[in-house]
Amino acid sequence: MTGVSFLLAIAAGLFAAGLFGVLARRTILMQLISLEIMLAGPALAFVAAGAHHGMVEGTAMFLIVLALAAAEVALGLAIYLQLRRHAGDGDADAARQLRG
Amino acid sequence: MALIAQLLLPFFGGFAALLAARTGRDRERWVAIAAMGATLVALLAGVVFGDDGRWLAFYRADWAPSFGIQVLLAMDGLTAAMLAISSGLGIISVFISWHVTHRSALFHAAICWTVAAANGVFLSFDLLIFAFFWELMIVPAFLLIALWGHGDREAAAIKFLVFNAVAGLGLLAAVFWMGATSDPVTFDAFVLAESDYSKTAQILLLLGFALAFMVKLPVPPFHAWLPDAHTQAPTAGSILLAGLLLKTGAYGLFRFPPMLFPEGLTALAGWGMALGAFGVVYGGILACGQTDAKRLVAYTSVAHMSIVLMGVCGGVHFALVGAGVEMIAHAFSSSALFLLIGALQHRTGTRDLRELGGLQKTAPAFATSFALFFAAALAMPGTANFLGEALVITGMFQVNWIFAAIALVSLVVSVVYATRLIGGIAFGAPKPAVQNVPDLHRYELWPIAILGLCALVFGLFPQLLIGWLWTAVEAALEPLIVVQP
Amino acid sequence: MLAYLLLLVPTPPLAGFVLLALDPYRLDRRAVRAAAIVAGCAPLAVIAPMAIAHLTGLWGDQIAPIFTLYVGSYEVALAVGLDTLSAVTALTVAFVSACVMIYALDYMSGARNADLRRFFALMNLFQAGMLSMVLAADSITFFLGWELMGLCSFFLISYNMTSPRAFAAGQKAFVITRIADAALLAGLLLLFLEAGSVRLSELIPAGAAIDTARGPLIAALLLIGAMGKSAQFPFHTWLPTAMAGPTPVSALLHSATMVAAGAVLLARFAPVMAANDGVAAATAIAGVVTALFGAASAVAQTDVKRLLAYSSISQIGYMLIAVGVGAPAVAMAHFVVHALFKSLLFMASGVLSHAGAGGTSIAALRGTARRAPIAFASFAAGAASLAGLPLVTAGWWSKEAILASAFEASWLGLAVWAVGLTAAALTAVYAFRPVFTALRAPETETPRGRESWLAVGPLVVLAVLALAGGLGVKPLTELLGGHPPHPALWVELAGASAALLGIAGSAALTFVPALADRVARARRLRAGLQMDARYYALLVRPYRRLVRRLSGGRGEWVERVVGRGRGAQGLERELEGAVRHARQPEGASSDPVGQATVVLGLWIWRALLLPFSPDRMDMAWMWGARGIGRAAERARRLQTGRVRDYALALAFGLAALLLIGWGMTWR
Repeated sequence: MTGVSFLLAIAAGLFAAGLFGVLARRTILMQLISLEIMLAGPALAFVAAGAHHGMVEGTAMFLIVLALAAAEVALGLAIYLQLRRHAGDGDADAARQLRG
Repeated sequence: MALIAQLLLPFFGGFAALLAARTGRDRERWVAIAAMGATLVALLAGVVFGDDGRWLAFYRADWAPSFGIQVLLAMDGLTAAMLAISSGLGIISVFISWHVTHRSALFHAAICWTVAAANGVFLSFDLLIFAFFWELMIVPAFLLIALWGHGDREAAAIKFLVFNAVAGLGLLAAVFWMGATSDPVTFDAFVLAESDYSKTAQILLLLGFALAFMVKLPVPPFHAWLPDAHTQAPTAGSILLAGLLLKTGAYGLFRFPPMLFPEGLTALAGWGMALGAFGVVYGGILACGQTDAKRLVAYTSVAHMSIVLMGVCGGVHFALVGAGVEMIAHAFSSSALFLLIGALQHRTGTRDLRELGGLQKTAPAFATSFALFFAAALAMPGTANFLGEALVITGMFQVNWIFAAIALVSLVVSVVYATRLIGGIAFGAPKPAVQNVPDLHRYELWPIAILGLCALVFGLFPQLLIGWLWTAVEAALEPLIVVQP
Repeated sequence: MLAYLLLLVPTPPLAGFVLLALDPYRLDRRAVRAAAIVAGCAPLAVIAPMAIAHLTGLWGDQIAPIFTLYVGSYEVALAVGLDTLSAVTALTVAFVSACVMIYALDYMSGARNADLRRFFALMNLFQAGMLSMVLAADSITFFLGWELMGLCSFFLISYNMTSPRAFAAGQKAFVITRIADAALLAGLLLLFLEAGSVRLSELIPAGAAIDTARGPLIAALLLIGAMGKSAQFPFHTWLPTAMAGPTPVSALLHSATMVAAGAVLLARFAPVMAANDGVAAATAIAGVVTALFGAASAVAQTDVKRLLAYSSISQIGYMLIAVGVGAPAVAMAHFVVHALFKSLLFMASGVLSHAGAGGTSIAALRGTARRAPIAFASFAAGAASLAGLPLVTAGWWSKEAILASAFEASWLGLAVWAVGLTAAALTAVYAFRPVFTALRAPETETPRGRESWLAVGPLVVLAVLALAGGLGVKPLTELLGGHPPHPALWVELAGASAALLGIAGSAALTFVPALADRVARARRLRAGLQMDARYYALLVRPYRRLVRRLSGGRGEWVERVVGRGRGAQGLERELEGAVRHARQPEGASSDPVGQATVVLGLWIWRALLLPFSPDRMDMAWMWGARGIGRAAERARRLQTGRVRDYALALAFGLAALLLIGWGMTWR
């Protein structure tokens, strides 16, 4: 297994682990963390692919992913706080009615 | 022009009455009277300045040439008499409905429209236009029954509508058939009268026409709508029904079958006379069994109009002229009886003969008027009704003495129901319902006087009526005599 | 042109009728009486000079055309005319009716709650009708007068409005006479068709000349018409009950004039009757049967008015005998005499009843001879004339002439004569029963009452004529174109002895209690052989049953035929509404034929529409629509609202997309 393939496998593993976390955990906080892990997978794949082809776009895409993750965390934490205030805990399933 | 006026004046008079109601109290009544009065004047002008020939007045204009539809109006003595009755009864209906205040504007408009549509029936000789007016006539009459009637008025109005609309289909089908088979397409009755239909076709077409006419007439077994419609209708509605709508059936029977289907009529004449004879006796017997005064008179209408059917089917001079006289005489006598009973119902709230009685004591003028039309109803000589019946019976003796004998039996039956009617109303000690009944007032008295005068004058000077109808009788007989065996 | 004066004969009473009926000025009682009496007596003033001029030969036959009606090729020429027959009858009618009107002025004024206006209006109308009938020169005017009399008869019999009995009597009279009138109308119309004219002068010869089967038919129809109006057996039942009317009405209509009009009709059409032997014989037989029946029934009566009614029936039977044996002139002579003495008897009985214990029963007349002597004397004169007291009374002369004519006619006439003689004896028996009763001492003594000259005047005049009129019978017969019979002496003696025997019998019936009891118990005979009950059972009740069967109930059978409409949904519910409409509305009766059409319509409606109820196509569409609804219901469950479920779906979707993308790279 060469370097790139190894790195891509690790990226896929990160993504799969994050996906499992999102699906399996009910606490929004944990789901947010899992989402970050999921994002880390593609980000790693971008960096690895950029390095492998000697192109700078891969690194640029990594920066965009980082910004996306930051925005997502900001929104997610806001939602988490709202949910805590209304439902009393951070259970995502408690919000399935999507009603105030 | 006089002919067009017969249609347009009452038609637009109706709309004018609708509008006039907003400008002041009782305005719509006077507008309706003015419209129908103007119609009468126009008719008078048309008669006075009329031509000498077959028609007093004639009007022809294309309307939809590609379909062969024309406005084809013609008036002879019979038509003129019918038109006079129509406008005259219209005016009388307004006068005796002075107490109607509920939706009065529409009420008077409906009266005007009934008159307009009936005038259209009397005048039209384009069969499609005739059929149009024939159907149109049902609408305002339906409104009169359904909106201003008594008791179970919706049911009566629906019965009236269903019977007449279904029967109108027969007429419409026959008219379409005739128009479609003509070449070039035309609905002109005079042209269609020349076409040579086979005997079977004539019989079928005649059945279509006769269905419409016999339901309107009405002859048993098509009469079920009449007693209900009469009893539930307001007084004006009863008058227009008896004096006008029934007469359109008689008029149609008199005018079109002999003209269009002489062979078919000759073939079916025996059946027609038999049906008429049955109707005379059946109507008479049923009239004897009624306790409701209006129903009683309605059944006498059935009997008397059956005599008209007998007369038309008789196909001889006496019978035909008798049929003409009978239908005019019946217009006077039956509408007067309905007027009187309606006025009585308005005063006492009942038409039940068992609850009435003793009117002679409390309202002598009322009772005297009843006695006059009582005499007319039982065909007392000196009234036009006797003239009509005697002429029809004479004609029947020429054709078939059995029918004459049956018609004579009806003279006896008529005494039974007529005495029942006057016995229940005028005789006896005054019942609670008729105590303190006010006598006839002005607006009731003069219509009664006019109707009574008409019945008596035409009965005592019959030449007035017979001479007037003669051209129509001759014209009706002309094609019949050719085909009679 | 003088002939047009004839129109003035029926005009005054007609004008009187119009004035009184319309009553424009709210006339007071005096004005009503004045108008009535002027209108009632004017015809006499007009007709008397004309009739006398005609009868004395100064003035020939007159005809005054009124107008002519053209019906195609036929001409209906109406006219009034004066010939000997109409002169005699019109004079009689005008005279008797004037007497009755004068009498009625007094008589009716005394009655309680009298509606004088209506009474006199109708009496005047009756006069106009009767006069135009006797003066008619054509069959239409004749029938007009004939029917007008029937109408007035109905209203006058039921003059007492509050009495149901009076109304029933009037109705019965009207219906029975109308049956006969229908026959008469048929006869007249057939004659018209045969002759092509309505003028009696052409109609009657043409009628007599018919040699087909129509001849006897027409004659028979005329006979039926006459028998109905004249209350001849078996049409007689209406006359005794018609006595419910006031006495002047009975005196004028139901004895002297209208009832005898049948005899006038037959005398008028005598040539037609004579041309048909069979019908003539039937006329004579009907006459003699009625004469005997009427006389026998009259003997058993206990009410003086009913007695006189049966007497009228019987006397008109004599007139029919005369027409039947071919002596119409003699019949008319008897008509005149009968009019005089019968109106006299009725009017006198009215005065006597008022003077007596009240009521019109014969027993109530006891002692009235002393209380109202003039009325009693006139009554006795009338009764003598009716009984045919030999030589001194008019009745004897005219009745003898009839019997002698029958005697001379044929073998049938001989039988008729024999029966007629028996009837004559019975006539004397019943005629004198009221007279003898009135002579008996009253049970309670009351002073003599005042007799108003208005009431008694006409009585005296009539009484004189009823006695002395006998002198006129022979000339009258000759004037009318008949030949006074000259029977053998023994025939005349037989007639005279019959009358005398009858009077003796009458005395016996009145004064011998045992016999009087027998009369009182003769209930069957008194009821006129109970023909009334028989007619009721044979005609009236079946007719009523027919009417009830046809119009009874409200037509509930419709529901049985069509069905009530079972369910409460869709068409069935509409059907229920339609069936409700097919039934008659509140207060209405059944009408089988009319409803049959409605039922047929409903049947067709049901037959056409029920296969489409429920509508299969509609059901298919609805199934589809419901299927979509169910699918949506299921699809809804996917929407759990759980973020994780959606994320899983996203993941599966992504995986699927990747798989597809991967698959598409295959070549």
